Amino acid sequence: MLDKTKDPVAERDFKVVGTRPVRPDGVDKVTGRARFGADISAPGMLVGKVKRSPHAHAKLVSIDTEKALALPGVKAVVTRDDFAENKKQCDVLRNIMAREKVLYDGHAVAAVAATSATVARKALKLIEVEYDVLPHVIDVDEAMKPGAPLLHDDMITKGVDPEPETASNIAQRYEFGHGDVEKGFAEADVVVERDFKTAAAHQGYIEPHACLASFTPDGQGELWCCTQGHYAIRGFCADLLGMDISKLRVTASEIGGGFGGKTTVFLEPLALALSRKTGRPVKMVMSREEVFRASGPTASTSSRVKVGATKDGKITAGEAEFRYQGGAFKGSPVQFGAMCAFACYALENVKTVGYDVVTNRPKQAAYRAPGAPMAAFAVESVIEELAVELSIDPVELRLINAAEEGDQSSFGPTFPRIGLVETLEATKAHEHFSAPLGPNQGRGIASGYWFNFGGATSVSLNIQPDGTVALAVGTPDIGGSRASMSLMAAEELGIAYEKVKAIVADTASLGYNEVSHGSRVTFASGLATIEAARNAKKILCARAAKMWEIPEEAVEWVDGHARPAGANAGDFEPMSLADIAKVAEQTGGPISGHQEHNASGAGASFATHMVDVEVDPETGRAHVVRYTAVQDAGKAIHPSYVEGQFQGGAAQGVGWALNEEYIYNDDGRLENPGFLDYRIPVCSDLPMLDTVIVEVPNPGHPYGVRGVGETGIVPPMAAIANAVSAAAGVRMTELPMSPPKLLKAINAKKANGSA
Amino acid sequence: MQYEAPQTLDAAVALLADARGAARVLAGGTDLLVQLRSGAIEPDLVVDIKRIDELKKITAEDGGYRIGAAVSGAELGEHEGVRALWPGVVEATELIGSTQVQGRATMAGNLCNASPAADSVPAMVAADATARIVGPDGVRDTSVRDVATGPGQTSLGRGEIVVSIFLPARPARSGDAYLRFIPRTEMDIAVVGAAVSVSLDDEGTCVAARVSLGAVAARVLLVDEGARVLIGTKLDDDALQALAAAASAACSPINDKRGTIEFRTDVAGVLARRAAQTAFERAKG
Amino acid sequence: MVKVVLWGSVRAAAGGAETVEVEAKNVRQILDRIGELHPGFKDRYDEGVTVSIDGQIYVDDWFQPVTEDSEVYLLPYLEGG
Ligand SMILES: Cc1cc2nc3c(=O)[nH]c(=O)nc-3n(C[C@H](O)[C@H](O)[C@H](O)COP(=O)(O)OP(=O)(O)OC[C@H]3O[C@@H](n4cnc5c(N)ncnc54)[C@H](O)[C@@H]3O)c2cc1C
Repeated sequence: MLDKTKDPVAERDFKVVGTRPVRPDGVDKVTGRARFGADISAPGMLVGKVKRSPHAHAKLVSIDTEKALALPGVKAVVTRDDFAENKKQCDVLRNIMAREKVLYDGHAVAAVAATSATVARKALKLIEVEYDVLPHVIDVDEAMKPGAPLLHDDMITKGVDPEPETASNIAQRYEFGHGDVEKGFAEADVVVERDFKTAAAHQGYIEPHACLASFTPDGQGELWCCTQGHYAIRGFCADLLGMDISKLRVTASEIGGGFGGKTTVFLEPLALALSRKTGRPVKMVMSREEVFRASGPTASTSSRVKVGATKDGKITAGEAEFRYQGGAFKGSPVQFGAMCAFACYALENVKTVGYDVVTNRPKQAAYRAPGAPMAAFAVESVIEELAVELSIDPVELRLINAAEEGDQSSFGPTFPRIGLVETLEATKAHEHFSAPLGPNQGRGIASGYWFNFGGATSVSLNIQPDGTVALAVGTPDIGGSRASMSLMAAEELGIAYEKVKAIVADTASLGYNEVSHGSRVTFASGLATIEAARNAKKILCARAAKMWEIPEEAVEWVDGHARPAGANAGDFEPMSLADIAKVAEQTGGPISGHQEHNASGAGASFATHMVDVEVDPETGRAHVVRYTAVQDAGKAIHPSYVEGQFQGGAAQGVGWALNEEYIYNDDGRLENPGFLDYRIPVCSDLPMLDTVIVEVPNPGHPYGVRGVGETGIVPPMAAIANAVSAAAGVRMTELPMSPPKLLKAINAKKANGSA
Repeated sequence: MQYEAPQTLDAAVALLADARGAARVLAGGTDLLVQLRSGAIEPDLVVDIKRIDELKKITAEDGGYRIGAAVSGAELGEHEGVRALWPGVVEATELIGSTQVQGRATMAGNLCNASPAADSVPAMVAADATARIVGPDGVRDTSVRDVATGPGQTSLGRGEIVVSIFLPARPARSGDAYLRFIPRTEMDIAVVGAAVSVSLDDEGTCVAARVSLGAVAARVLLVDEGARVLIGTKLDDDALQALAAAASAACSPINDKRGTIEFRTDVAGVLARRAAQTAFERAKG
Repeated sequence: MVKVVLWGSVRAAAGGAETVEVEAKNVRQILDRIGELHPGFKDRYDEGVTVSIDGQIYVDDWFQPVTEDSEVYLLPYLEGG
């Protein structure tokens, strides 16, 4: 399948990369020793808790903290008055602490620090808040209607010409595409057009947000928190608290899942403000209910997709409109949805329009491939229907139209080397593809695309006197990256994996590191690790050259040893890394390599998922019975963690497809802020999630790595919807496909059939 | 909040009867502790009944079994005798929660928590079980049906404790079964629950039946019409269809986040029919 | 002259223009030239932009070179999960 002339990186023989050693954080995690956000304590620590709005939308008339402050044990209360207006972080500021209005159920209105959790809870009840309740809006389509309750009086839709004269809940309109879709549809033999809806889903990380803040009277702050990006947290907090970035040191704890949801601040600025006010460390931990009500789920969406094709399966045009509500502030991921929607296809005529809409819900946060899964659900459902109408196998139909190197992408640029076709071929070749189905079972297939980012990265690699290596990276490890970084360092240095110990350093120890997001860590921190190792090798070679008294250029690094390059350089016994490290002090001082860069060359990852679902036609219950996730990893550094990413995406996708949803009551209050009624899949809901790693190397990375963390959640909802629809004999266009909805559709079809 | 763990029933009853303010019995705590932590209840006194020996026992009595109020789901599940006599009650109790929850949760707690969706209750109602209640005024026996009076409401008087559940003897060629509908495979609350108990004669004709539904009304229902349409049949398709119709007709559910009226009504019929089939197979042996 | 295609929110920030032709040797020069043509664009550029040059994506990378033959797209600032 791999064409070595096309993929030169594929030629390299790896020694350590591609093996599956135990992760360095594994023992700590299985023995309970690992310290997560809530495990950090400090002497004299206070407990911080947040008072939250019970209303979906209200004017915040007044907040009276007097009684709370009078309660013995209460040390401080902070409200909107404790944070200065901040133009740059205007929405972040208003999200962490309501100012003029509360905009959703759970919106923070005050925070208290007290000597115990009991006192803090009592104090919350004593804070008197006067609200002037306003009409609210939850649904994205409702929010777009003229006359809908307005969240922000000054929100004038951007991206529309001429600019609207009145405010609305539509923050912006986006448009992507090329060609002429009308012409394309005119050329089509078959056109399928459908409306879709998806519910808001939460990332469902098991660890709730938690932090410990400590502020000294001379204005120095320290913060420990569970986050995907401690540098970003430092930036937000320093800005919101009006302090120098260098005076705030942030350490990332171990993290119990993030999936994009831990890329911004919620509690951290409040804990710092409380600590600054009291002079004591303040710890804050969200309850699960708070996580659901007031952190960032992803957008709920509504969309319309239209695709036309000729009889022989050539897609002539694709058009879509996406409407995403991203909660109370602008910034839903609709742009990315509109960009990724048709990314799997080489289309002459394509147009997507996106609307970013605000509603009275918590501000959305990123969730794995933000925006893309909902768009893929809609588009890939339509592709499946086209396949049925055209009597063409769905994988074949995708192959006919698949985007390849040199094709113009639906979001503009020409694709470099990509691996979609290879994932489709691997799907077709898999035993699952032709396995027989049982009664009431259906099979669904879908493909998906997500970008891969580089970004600011800083890594430091220190060679220790005993020849072991300490590697410090600044991207929190959310998926086994310490193991992958160690593998790459070991590969580059030519030493054993066990000789490398990787840590996630705090913000004072390394240059700026962008958040662990955008599937960037193995790519970008990996690239920096390789470069850092190469820099260290240069010094190692130079030290050997000094000892051998030959020019530096005459020394090369091979298999973990410095050795004379060629016969002319002289005849010296090769020196190992440990040999050179032992005398580092005498030969010039400690040896380290580091790398600071804005990584470029990221390569996108495509996936194709195949799933069998059994539907109970009498109860509408859908159960996933077989699942195969195929994805291009470029090069799997640690295959187990690559598979883990594929499986994680599929598992979250099953939840999103079948049961997960934010349910609001008529008052705009969240009805299911807990894992009992917000149903992520439990183990027994899932079959073994099989994986196939396709490796089409990314030419932009020395080992060929592509980021794999996010693409895995793009195809599942569509694949499952296609399977459920096939099994039930009705096309499902709304997520989640929960039993009441599915049974209703089945019964309606029965009624129509017999009528 | 005061916590007491008396070793005798008398002491427990006295503590509860003399309590000033709100008092609660603590069995497995799998409902009570959740309610305490969420702030839904704020009792002044909690009386733990797990140290009272007589409440920890399962004893054979008159061909049936008396199950102490502090017996956990896991302990019940390991009792061969009860399993053989009332497999539907055991399977319903074992559906509660997870392995961890099973180690604590009790049938009596499930009953006294008075949730219309409690899993073991429809099975107990189909089994015509009785609850023995001890209080300041002595001992009384009552049908399990009459313990819960509405969501979160019971007929228990001040200081009264359910001390045991009695599952009666039954004729040979009898069987029972319980099924629930949940969107997931476990760790969920029944959207609909259905329990059926049948006794057959030598020809395999149904001579006695009880049908009970959970989560489709404010209380667990006993569906007499469902029993009537089974009796005298061999649970052929017509009888099962009639049962499904009777079960659906008996429902008076609500729309909520877990299901719609329409869905619950439909699925109650389906589950009653399926549970009846299993109970019938078990009765045939 | 380098032909630059503006996409998504970037287009709105540059007064709705679909493409612009600018004299530029690298990303920063492109951004500066567009900023001169469309004053509103400056804010967007301060927030960060993503540039695709011949299919390769660069985030906030000023000195990536471009030539007259380069395919250049300005995309919204990308964020992942
Ligand atoms: C994770 C989880 C999953 C669950 N899953 C299910 C499920 O699948 N199905 C289901 O039905 N339930 C479920 N439950 C609820 C709960 O486990 C059951 O209702 C259980 O049977 C309660 O028994 P307990 O002994 O723990 O009761 P407790 O919590 O101790 O008590 C429950 C209530 O009954 C009262 N009470 C208890 N015993 C007596 C007594 N002897 N006399 C008088 N009053 C008494 C208590 O005061 C309290 O009000 C779940 C709970 C959790 C936490």
